[in-house]
Amino acid sequence: MPWFTVGKPLDKMRASLLMGASFVLPLLLWSIAAYGPFWSNSKEITIASDTDDKDGFAGAIAPGDVFEADRFSAYQDAVRNDNKALEAAQSTPEPGQSRANMKVLRSIFPVAKEEGWLTQDQEKDYDALFDVWGRIAENEKGAASAISDENLPIVQQNWARLSKASTSYDEAAFVDDVPLLRLVPEAIDKKGRPVFLPAPHEVLSTAIRDFSGNSKLGDLMLGERYIDSIRTIVSGFVIACLIGVPIALLCGTFSFFSRLIEPFVDFFRYMPAPAFGTLLVALFGIQSAPKVALVVIGTLPQMILMVANTTRMIDGALLDAAQTLGAKRPQLVSKVVIPGILPMLYNDLRILLGWAWTWLVIAELIGTKVGLTELIDTHGRRFHFDHVYPWILLIGLTGFVTDQVLSNLRSILFPWVPEAGHSRVRHVLERVGNWLRPGQHKSSQAAAILAKPKEETST
Amino acid sequence: MTATLELPSYKEQSPEVAERFRHLKEREVTLSARGLGKTFSSAQGPVKALSDVNFDVYRRELMCVIGASGCGKSTLIRILAGLEPLTEGEVLIDGKPVAGPGPDRGMVFQSYTLFPWLTVKKNVMFGLKMTGSSEMTAESEAMQWIELVGLSGFEDSYPHQLSGGMKQRVAIARALANRPRILLMDEPFGALDAQTRAQMQSYLLQIWRNVDVTILFITHDLDEAVHLSDRILVLDRNPGRVNEIIEVPVGQPRTTRQFLQPEFLATKGRVSELIHPPRETSDEHLPIFKMTRVGDEVV
Repeated sequence: MPWFTVGKPLDKMRASLLMGASFVLPLLLWSIAAYGPFWSNSKEITIASDTDDKDGFAGAIAPGDVFEADRFSAYQDAVRNDNKALEAAQSTPEPGQSRANMKVLRSIFPVAKEEGWLTQDQEKDYDALFDVWGRIAENEKGAASAISDENLPIVQQNWARLSKASTSYDEAAFVDDVPLLRLVPEAIDKKGRPVFLPAPHEVLSTAIRDFSGNSKLGDLMLGERYIDSIRTIVSGFVIACLIGVPIALLCGTFSFFSRLIEPFVDFFRYMPAPAFGTLLVALFGIQSAPKVALVVIGTLPQMILMVANTTRMIDGALLDAAQTLGAKRPQLVSKVVIPGILPMLYNDLRILLGWAWTWLVIAELIGTKVGLTELIDTHGRRFHFDHVYPWILLIGLTGFVTDQVLSNLRSILFPWVPEAGHSRVRHVLERVGNWLRPGQHKSSQAAAILAKPKEETST
Repeated sequence: MTATLELPSYKEQSPEVAERFRHLKEREVTLSARGLGKTFSSAQGPVKALSDVNFDVYRRELMCVIGASGCGKSTLIRILAGLEPLTEGEVLIDGKPVAGPGPDRGMVFQSYTLFPWLTVKKNVMFGLKMTGSSEMTAESEAMQWIELVGLSGFEDSYPHQLSGGMKQRVAIARALANRPRILLMDEPFGALDAQTRAQMQSYLLQIWRNVDVTILFITHDLDEAVHLSDRILVLDRNPGRVNEIIEVPVGQPRTTRQFLQPEFLATKGRVSELIHPPRETSDEHLPIFKMTRVGDEVV
């Protein structure tokens, strides 16, 4: 059988193969883009120092900055030159250098943090930083290996001066008349990928760290934010349903309501919901109410039109039949229209829930930023894309999984819809049921009942 | 036309058949159409679909309505069912005029109209519950009707699990469960294959013999009309009006063996004449198309 036939479905094997490929291909493209030989070798700075070469290196350089390899060597050389000048200057003491020296003291902080000696908030904890210098200089528990061989003598030399002044940090007795030597910048190799293109493994490792609560960015409260986001979308969607479905049923059933309501709704849906953001904040405040309201405004018009249309799709012959059986108007609605469209209504709502997710991000940006969106927005602005992508994926995955679950539930909720037999979830549930109650062949009984009419058909 | 010459006239009735029709016409009239007319408004102005349709259906009679397509058969039955408003005349059930649909006129449609979300049993119970029966009564009555149409064992199946013929049997049971004065059937076997259709016809005759019910049956199938009916109402078209009401001279009970009897064929011939008048065009003036390709030598 060929792979390409007009209007014919593929066999199961190929279909599942392609289903896998539809996820693998984008991942592959990403990997090629990230790992391909398109990006130069770069250095991500782990230890930064000030340099007096302001022409070559204007502006502050901080750990985490990424330099091309050549420029990084130049930066190292610049600091080495500075050190030569400083060493020369040490022979002629001159007060007023404590500020620069405290900067040098602080430059050890990234190493201490990486080694786990200090925490994020101890960047200016001079007592602790002071001790770190001593620890490295005296190589306590192999601490010296935290820095390069080139920097070890510098640390030791500085420590000699620091410890001569006082054994622990003392602001009054801090070295002031001679300059401390600067640490020579250190870096780790890094592909010079653009910030928006972190590699898959980087995203995976930050995702694991973020979701397990050990993020480099501090306490992100991802769980709370996630639940917050879900609460917004679910309340918005439920409110939209409570308002929208009854209106849509009326529109779909009675031409009167259809003519009265639908034209305006049709017009309203072309006005972008986010445009009402400020109005909603004015109306509902800055907390979660305007966000829920935005999801409602975004979903409601579509819902009314879509469900009304679905309602109109009820087979007119069923209404005729019901009338000849004695059904009057209220019964036509409650006993024919509503049960008749229920599976389609369910499907519509499932699709609409998917759309509601698209409003979530915009909704969370109005008023006070909250939920996952706040993180995505804040850290996106800081170019932390390796963190941002997993969160975006989390939203996508939640929507996708919900949709798949709801889609499979359909055949359990509506057993009269013909494709009921094909549900994978139902199949699994039946298997589990059989396994829990050995001896009762429930599914084979069901199969026999289902097969019976078929036999009759053939006679 | 040579074959028809050997047949008797469709108007010749054996003494038993004549006796039967005499009895039939002594019964009370169940459904009566009086000067029935229907005009649709369209972009080209009003269109008359039915005009001055008059006929009576006697109690326990099975009458077929037949006519060429577009003669308004379906409009007629929808008017009788009350699903379509009429513009002239009136419909009487047991002598009383009716308006709008009601459970006194049960209907079986050509398309499958079982409620897909209800099981067979619940479908049959639908009308009973609409007309105020309790759940218990409705259920036990429904089971009897399901048995009558031969579907015991399928009461908990959903319609999508049934074949076309079975669906229509459920539809018949559902309509009969309300004990209607008349059962209106709008080409109910039209969507079935020939074999199933023949089966359904014998089911219907069997039900009709066992149940005190009057039936008005729309069809466009000549054999079906002659096979099932006491009388056949032939509709003309443009506008739809009664052409003739034929008393079928075939004996009762009906069997498929009667299909080749002279009186059966004579009746069928007559109905055929009425609904397909002989064409007066000839093919002499039509050009002849030669199926040749460019480059072929034309002979």
